[in-house]
Amino acid sequence: MSTEGHAVSRRTVLRGAGLLGLGGLLSGCGSAFASGVAGIGPPKNTLSYWNLFGGGDGAHMVAMQQVYQKQHPNEVLDAVTLAWGNPYYTKLSLATLGSRPPDVGISHLSRASILADAGLLEPLNETELAPYGLIGRNFTPAAWQKAHMNGTLYAVPLDTHPFVLYYNTDICKKAGLLNADGSLKSLDSPEALTAALVAAKKVTGAYGAVASINNDAATQWRFFSTLYYQLGGSVLADNGQKIVLDDAKAEKVLSLIRDLAVKQGLMPTSVDYPGAITTFATGKAGFFFEGEWEVATFQTTKTPFNMTAFPNLYGGRYAVQADSHSFVLPKDPARTDARRALIFGFIRSMLNQSSTWAQGGHIPAWLPYQDSAAYGKLKPESNYKWAADYARYDDPGWYSGSGSDFENIMGFAIGAVSAGQMSPAAAISDMRSKLAQYANTTPPV
Amino acid sequence: MTAITAGRRRAAAHAGKRTTDWRARYFNWFCAGVLLVFAAIWVIPLLWALDTSLKPDAVIAAQPTSWWSGAWTLHAYQLLFNLGNIQTWYLNSFIIALLSAVFAVVACSMAGFAIARTRFTGRRVIYGLIAAGLLIPPQVLIVPMFNEFNFAHLLNTYWVQVLPAVAVPIAVVIFVAFFNGIPDELAQAARVDGASWWRIYRRIYMPLSKPAISAVFIFTFVWKWNDFLWPLLTLTNTRIMTLPVGLSQVSSAFGIMYAEIMASAVLGALPLIVVFLLFQRQIVEGIATTGIK
Amino acid sequence: MSIQTIPVYADERATGTTGATKRRDESRSGWGLTAPFLIFYVLFLVGPTVYGIVMSFFNSSLEHSGLGGFAGPDNYTQALTSSDFWQSMWHTVLFTLMTTPPLVAIALLLAIFTDRLARGRWFFRLIFFAPYVVPSAAMALIWTWLYTPQIGLWDSWLSAVGISNPPNWLADPSWAMASVALATVWWTLGFNFVLYLAGLQEIPRNLYEAAAVDGASRWHQMRRITIPLLNRTTALVLVLQIIASLKIFDQIFLMTSGGPNYSTRPLLEYVYDIGFTDFRTGYAAAASMLYFLLILAVSLVWFFVSRHQQKGA
Repeated sequence: MSTEGHAVSRRTVLRGAGLLGLGGLLSGCGSAFASGVAGIGPPKNTLSYWNLFGGGDGAHMVAMQQVYQKQHPNEVLDAVTLAWGNPYYTKLSLATLGSRPPDVGISHLSRASILADAGLLEPLNETELAPYGLIGRNFTPAAWQKAHMNGTLYAVPLDTHPFVLYYNTDICKKAGLLNADGSLKSLDSPEALTAALVAAKKVTGAYGAVASINNDAATQWRFFSTLYYQLGGSVLADNGQKIVLDDAKAEKVLSLIRDLAVKQGLMPTSVDYPGAITTFATGKAGFFFEGEWEVATFQTTKTPFNMTAFPNLYGGRYAVQADSHSFVLPKDPARTDARRALIFGFIRSMLNQSSTWAQGGHIPAWLPYQDSAAYGKLKPESNYKWAADYARYDDPGWYSGSGSDFENIMGFAIGAVSAGQMSPAAAISDMRSKLAQYANTTPPV
Repeated sequence: MTAITAGRRRAAAHAGKRTTDWRARYFNWFCAGVLLVFAAIWVIPLLWALDTSLKPDAVIAAQPTSWWSGAWTLHAYQLLFNLGNIQTWYLNSFIIALLSAVFAVVACSMAGFAIARTRFTGRRVIYGLIAAGLLIPPQVLIVPMFNEFNFAHLLNTYWVQVLPAVAVPIAVVIFVAFFNGIPDELAQAARVDGASWWRIYRRIYMPLSKPAISAVFIFTFVWKWNDFLWPLLTLTNTRIMTLPVGLSQVSSAFGIMYAEIMASAVLGALPLIVVFLLFQRQIVEGIATTGIK
Repeated sequence: MSIQTIPVYADERATGTTGATKRRDESRSGWGLTAPFLIFYVLFLVGPTVYGIVMSFFNSSLEHSGLGGFAGPDNYTQALTSSDFWQSMWHTVLFTLMTTPPLVAIALLLAIFTDRLARGRWFFRLIFFAPYVVPSAAMALIWTWLYTPQIGLWDSWLSAVGISNPPNWLADPSWAMASVALATVWWTLGFNFVLYLAGLQEIPRNLYEAAAVDGASRWHQMRRITIPLLNRTTALVLVLQIIASLKIFDQIFLMTSGGPNYSTRPLLEYVYDIGFTDFRTGYAAAASMLYFLLILAVSLVWFFVSRHQQKGA
């Protein structure tokens, strides 16, 4: 009996020692295990950074990150790229709620306001930012203003990315649409735009212009809203709780879109995003309606092209749909001033590299670079830089912003008009009924 | 008369058997053939992933769909290991799955034993309540559970994964069924000898329950290793993520670097395939016994 | 295992105890052994269920603590009148309808054939079951690569047989669900296969021999002996498969993100979008409860059917 008892205790001791050893080994495996068990934060000299940049933007951002890392060899930059759109913002919100957010993240300015309303962003103290040069007069006024919510600053703008017009210089020259200096003749009315597309179609034999439709609510929304905003319209008011869609103005724009695509066959009625790029790149369309970020793509395909701000069709004050990427600090009660200093230094370093970022087509929000001669020489990117001052962001609302349900609802209805599946009137009532479900809901923020 | 008919029947049976033998063999070949076709189809996705992961990106861009590559390389795997995340995810997944499986086996077997062998007041009611829990799928509880763990400040820790995995009604049902199969006399004899119920549980019943233990252990381990939705919601820091959640981030960062994407898929698939190869018999037996019960 | 090796401790010796004390002791031990499980059970299964039901009557929000304003039945009425809710429920049901028949029938067929083999059973078991242990994220990456337009393996095979313009498998609303369903069949067939193999092994061999002596062909034997005797296993496979399919989230989220244009979004992803992207946790709880009712209904149907079967058998 006594040996039995000893045997038991010896085995228990051995087992306990084994577990302790295992535990020691595991805790030696670094902070991951420790934080897993006890929720301890990451090591001091690591800066975690989330962004949603893939493709060409992703490559530029990685280059900028590498420059930062080289300049700060004592710090570790832990950068994570997540998928664009709702999934990115859901993950960012969940991480902030889970008290383990990244130190700094990218956010569209149109989404930052919702995050700020939800209490997920840390308000930025402008006096704290001043030593890093992150002050109002160094940024595009429209973006700087949008970065404020109720008078408090929540984001530091990186760029503005408006909807623009790409045109194939060869085709437009043959169609007689270029000025002597090679720039596009001004298209200042719907008739002028239509005539230009007709002329281009004669040259290409296929289409005058192309804009992506299938599975791409964002492009269709940007196309429609640019013209709609030029007419002076708005869609949402009261932080998304009221729908103020102007039926007449919307009808006017949708009729023009339907005319171009469906009635006159000047634009394809079924094409997805990669297809639209191919159509323009291979010269099957003279014009391409999209955001400015595809500049590198067409440079690679060696398409003869140029870019300019999207035309002002209705003779009123210029407006163009745009959004801005910005840096935000997700709320983290455990953030120290030292860490904040790291973050601001990182942001400043990114802004200093605006020249790299601008090569992706975006208009840098950092005025010291935007106003510089170097940027002015960057063609075709700087052709439309003045559009940043007329940027019109999505109307604020808890379900609005880039990649949001709002854009999906509007964009799919507009896409249905472009594809000839819906009449403008039907699209408008579809928009209204779908938006109403959101507008009538008590906002969760 | 009987002898003749018996003889005739035997002869007929023999003749029938010979025909049946030929037909049986033909049928068996047919079965094997069909199986091989299906098996070939079934094996293609994993093989193709492995094949792609071992080719340089340039070769993939040039000839994406040829199985052969002149230049096999482990570059994609090297890149993944250099990035450092995949090792962390392996560790997190392993710890979470292990802790969940251990706690689940302990708690559920104790409860199963108590319900099966001890006559405590309210035992039938409790068992009924636990069995009723079989009807509640965890997926419908993600919203309230998120709030619970948020309130307890346990998000982004291992516990948010382990704690909900401990009380699994099906495990209790398995243990109760299994313990009921162990003769009650063993327990009664031990009671006469003055053993405590804990001793009976630990010394008699558990050692006899290896099939049930391994079934519950493996089932919990595999479930927690492959769990996706709950870690997606609650493990948002890249250092804490489990392997499936981490993998799902990877593809957006890699863009069209298909070798790297497939390498991460292979690395994701590998651990449990290895586990399955090592514990085939237990896993299959576990599924079989739980199914039958 | 000899009982005499259990040490006897003085305090355990039941000298002079009455039956009542023994029972009390037994009761205490029983509760003590069950307690750990019950604590976890209440905290992480019963509790959240009750909390979820309560939450569904309030306008709770994800980043505000507390229940929010009282909404009464509004969340439920909004869900029941929301086309998004019904469409996502339909997507879940459609997915179940698309995957269950092949997953049951093909598994049965392959299991019967495998059971016929004298050797090599382990090989097919490995091939068919290995995908089941692969995590959904890995499976989604592999099948998305297979389905990639033009450069994916399936499209290259199709163009080799002359189909040069196949649909965009995951981005075409008419094909997306079927594509995910096909990938799911590959992924989860192994589990049903193993269950059927186990059921097949329960069938006594002499039944076949007797039938063979009586001149029954293999097909005949399969139809008259094997399949009817597998009824119980088939019922189990069927209900497990249906309930598992109703819980679909992973593959669709990973392969199509619920698109294109929300045309594949299942109910669970709808709950995820509403609760965690739109922050509306009260409404999401209501949708979850309705979802729970659906799964409960299926479970109860099976429960009563199987009880009826057992009584009849």
